[in-house]
Order: sequence, then structure tokens, then C-alpha cells
Amino acid sequence: MEAHNRPGAREAIFAQLIDAGRTEQVTARLTDAIILGVLAPDERLPSESDLARRFGVALITVREGLAGLRDAGLVETRRGRGGGSFVMKADAPHSTLVQARLHGLAQVDLSDMAVHFATIVEGCAQRAALHASEPDSDRLDLWLRGADFATVAGARTNAGGFYLELAVLSQSARLVRDLIRLQAEFGPLLLLGMTDARARRSLLASSQAIAGAVRANDAAAARQFATEQVRSLAEWLLNAKARVERGGAWDA
Amino acid sequence: MPEISKLPDVTISDCAAAVGAFFAGAFTQLDGWRQVLSEGETTVRPAELDARVEALVRPALTGASPLFVGAGFIAAPGYVRGRDIHFAWWLGPQAGNPLLGSSSAATRLDLATRAYTDYVHDFRTLEWYQVPQSTNQTHVTGPYVDRLCTCEYIFTLTMPVRIGEGTPMLGVVGADISVRHLESIVLPLFLAADRPLALVTAVDRVVVSTDPTLQVGQLASQTGDSVACSGLPFRVLVGPDRPPRF
Repeated sequence: MEAHNRPGAREAIFAQLIDAGRTEQVTARLTDAIILGVLAPDERLPSESDLARRFGVALITVREGLAGLRDAGLVETRRGRGGGSFVMKADAPHSTLVQARLHGLAQVDLSDMAVHFATIVEGCAQRAALHASEPDSDRLDLWLRGADFATVAGARTNAGGFYLELAVLSQSARLVRDLIRLQAEFGPLLLLGMTDARARRSLLASSQAIAGAVRANDAAAARQFATEQVRSLAEWLLNAKARVERGGAWDA
Repeated sequence: MPEISKLPDVTISDCAAAVGAFFAGAFTQLDGWRQVLSEGETTVRPAELDARVEALVRPALTGASPLFVGAGFIAAPGYVRGRDIHFAWWLGPQAGNPLLGSSSAATRLDLATRAYTDYVHDFRTLEWYQVPQSTNQTHVTGPYVDRLCTCEYIFTLTMPVRIGEGTPMLGVVGADISVRHLESIVLPLFLAADRPLALVTAVDRVVVSTDPTLQVGQLASQTGDSVACSGLPFRVLVGPDRPPRF
């Protein structure tokens, strides 16, 4: 029987590269990072030209995106030497904005983001366990021992950092790049639960379990622990979403 | 590059020697930079150092097929006036880098963003700095995926810089080489050998291989014949003669 080339992989070559609404994407990316605490108050954002280069958009797009953030009271622009765009100090946590963000995302999209993220992290953990040398395991343990998971800000930074360490140990540049892109898009939301001390303790414990499996070169266990870890983060997020939809506070 | 079919009998020692020669060539370039940077005082102004380093490394990062994807000088504490930490590091052109975007020219690594702060805070404990400092020898770190700059699978070569023997180290000169570049140079020779071969590092990590069961990035576990690459903690392994699975 004659073999046919089915549509699929071929058509994907010509798929649209970047969605419309780049200004909105710039605003959304930075808003998430600020309201979910990845960018700290008083932190200076990279320069407009630097942001344009990193996001791969025109300078005017970055300027429009930053204008949106200024209107929302999330950044302020300081002139002169040492100037630039700075993250505003919030009088209260950005609860209303987080609330609005969770309300604006469909449950099905949140779940799907978690599936995508989990798939990459599982692959990183599995490959890291397959490929880690003893010095690699030593460095991972040292990294984890030095990482703060006790504070909210520390846990947010270091949870993302731990995934990146696993990706590096996978020896795959593509996994590292994919993880960086996914964390940029979804990391702040997924780590919303880090406001919860119990969630932080649980995340540290499961990270230690993953590191132990990496040291033992037990790929199946590393993968399983990673699955469970991302699943708990996703459950926390979906619970918060449900609380918001019922009219409550996301962190109640 | 000679055509593979016209190569005379290529031995495993030839392959090991080619790898050694490749790294020796890269270290010769670093040694030239080291000599220039070792002439001077025991402290330096930041702008003066940056200008000297940039003039040295920029030509090695651009062109048709640059040897290095990044290069520069990392100062020891106390060398650069008023700076505890000073990286004079340039990156070659980037294409679709998820961290840095795209650029057609060499650009200076900007450490001002927070992601780098924690990393550079402890740079004295990192392998590429700590080993040349304590051994006073050149060192190859990796290969590893560089998650901070290039997001590529690279080696980092470093060499200590001192004014004279027994004096404190001023810093290290260094350069990043992609595994892809090394492969483009040595794979033709590996392919011309009559046995499957794999270049592995000190931890037995596969870097270049003509044995499809030993893939780049994995740890090789076999204990067959091997030949060390001179001047490097690497060796070339002879893979077993096995029938193809497919």
C-alpha cells in the first residue's frame, strides 16, 4: 500500500510564529512577574532597548507595554542618571490584581499550562538522573542546601532555580531553552502557592527527594517525584482559582 | 578538510591527538591574551581593563566560523580598583537566545540583572575560576549547558593570569567553545577510523561519538580500550563492534 504523507508535521513548519498583541504580551509578562512577586519592589527593569532585544519586539512595543504598567501603578519611570523603570512598592499585596488574573484565565488553560510545564520538568528530572555524574550530584545537593525555601520570595526564586538546575543536568540545551521560555510564561502563576508555608515546606521536601533520586541515578523515581511536585503546585493554583470564582480571596 | 574516503588508515591515537591539538590551539590563543594582561600594575582602572580585554577578545568572537562563543577576563578581588567582582566578558552574535534575544555583533555580558547576582556572588567557588586559581594550571570545565548566557552546550576554558611567578592571581582569562564547533573539527577523523569511537571527559561524559549507542551527554559505562588526549583529562574510547539494531 502506498504510504501517504499526512498533514501535521509539515503544516506546523508554516504555523504563525508569534501571536498578535505583542504589546499586551509584554504587559502581561511583566504584570505577572510583579504582582506574583518575582520582580521585587524597587527593582530596576532592564532598559527599554534591552527589553526590546530580549522580547524580540520593536522599541515602540516595549514603550507601549511599559505605559500599560505605569497606568496600572506597577512601575514608575525615574529620569536622569540611574533612572529607568522601577517596580513600585505596593501598600498592600497586589491581591486585587492576582484575583483579576486568576479570574481572567480559564480553568482549562491553567490545567493545560500545568500539563505542559510538568511534561518538561519530568523530562528534565528523568534525564538528569540518567546523566548526572557524582560531582553533578554534589553540586545539586550544595545548591539545594544553600537555597532559601523558608521565605515567600526565596521559595519563588529557588523553586524556579531548582528546575533550571535539573534542566542543566539533563545535558540538553533544548530542554534548558524550553524551560526558560515556559518559566517566563507560566512560572510566576504556578508558584502562586509559595505564599503558603506548608506548600513551601512540601516543595523543599519533594525537591530533596528529586535530588536524592538524581544521585541514585534512579530516573523513574526522579520523574515520579517531579510529576507529584508539579501536580501539587497545580492543585494549589486551581484551588485558588476556585476560591476566586466562588467570590472569596485567592489566598484565603 | 580532507575527504574522509581519502584519509589513510586513521587510528584511535590520531583521533585523540586531533582533540588534543584542537584544545591546544584554543589555549595558545588564551595564552596570547594572558601575556598581554599580565603586563601592568597590581591594580587597574575598570575602564582601562575593559578596553584592553575587548580589543583582545572581540576579533575571536566574530567572523565566518568563530572558535569562541564567549570570551573575556574575570578579575580576582582586589585587582580592579573599587570592584570586588569584575567580569569583562563578551558574547558572540546570538540567534533566538531565550535570555538575550538576537544580536548580530559581539555584546558585553551585562551582570546588572538580578538573575546573575547570586551566580557571580560565589564565582570564586566555581570550577572554571577555582581550579586554575588553586592549581595555577589551565582548565577545561564541561561540557555543560550554559543557562546564564548562551543557552548552548559548551566547554569553558580558563587560564590563570599573574604578573610573575608566586605573585597573587590577577584573574583568569577564559573562552567558551561550543561542542558543535569541536564536533565540526574532529568528527571527520573519528568517522574515518575503522571502529566506533567516543570522546569522553574525566567523568566519562560522551562529547563526540561515532557509536550511536553512546550519545552525546550520556555517561559511557564501558571499559574498553582507550587513548588519552594529551594535555586534557579526556580520552577516546573504542566502542564494541556490535551489529546495528535496525
